[in-house]
Amino acid sequence: MIEPGTTAPTFTRTDHLGRPLDTAALGGKRHLLLLFYPLDFTPT
Amino acid sequence: MPALEALQDRLRAAHTTACGISIDTTFSHAAWAEQLGGVSFPLVSDFHPKGELAEAFGVYLGDDGICDRATVIVDAAGTVHHCASVTPAGKRDAEALVKVCEDLDAGWSESLPDAVAPRGLPPGVRLYVKDRCMFSRWALYARTNLHLQDALPVVNVSRDPEALAELERLGGKGQAPALYIDDRIVYESAEIATLLAERASWS
Repeated sequence: MIEPGTTAPTFTRTDHLGRPLDTAALGGKRHLLLLFYPLDFTPT
Repeated sequence: MPALEALQDRLRAAHTTACGISIDTTFSHAAWAEQLGGVSFPLVSDFHPKGELAEAFGVYLGDDGICDRATVIVDAAGTVHHCASVTPAGKRDAEALVKVCEDLDAGWSESLPDAVAPRGLPPGVRLYVKDRCMFSRWALYARTNLHLQDALPVVNVSRDPEALAELERLGGKGQAPALYIDDRIVYESAEIATLLAERASWS
């Protein structure tokens, strides 16, 4: 697992509403809360 | 995810963007999110190349082919601030995670731009759908995920002949889904979702 204090990888993806997400572009603007999870349609 | 959705106001105030990530497709995400009552923050897909994103953060469980239920908080400078796993079967403490983000933001020395409220939908907007139509479903998923149930009335042209006649009058054909907005009609479900997201998302 990635360690606190290290530089996070950036990524670009299109989300479930068709919106682009470019985490590099969020630099200096937003903190990021990344929620990895096993599968859709399973308890959250 | 619903717990985090309910805390979006606090995350916005803490200059934090939430993002869900699993190996499912965005189509699956949209359908699942709708069943949960709507998820407006980004859900992205780690489907292809499978697990690439999770692998980059060291939270991919390759033997099972799934992402761990892990949370990574990255600060506005791009540095990992927090990283923790509750295991796939575990449950995240949404409230505690939001608190971590709030504390991070409160101690942040630079000022970050505040979130801008969405423009919203114009009066008179409506969504025409039909029964047993995958594309109509997709448009409806977007409506729920963006919490537009009150702002965007739905008319079903399979069950309402008058609505069908109205749609034909407006656009010259009875094709659905169709979004009537600002005196024009948009037919493609992906374009409808994108347009709704543009008008209903915080930035």
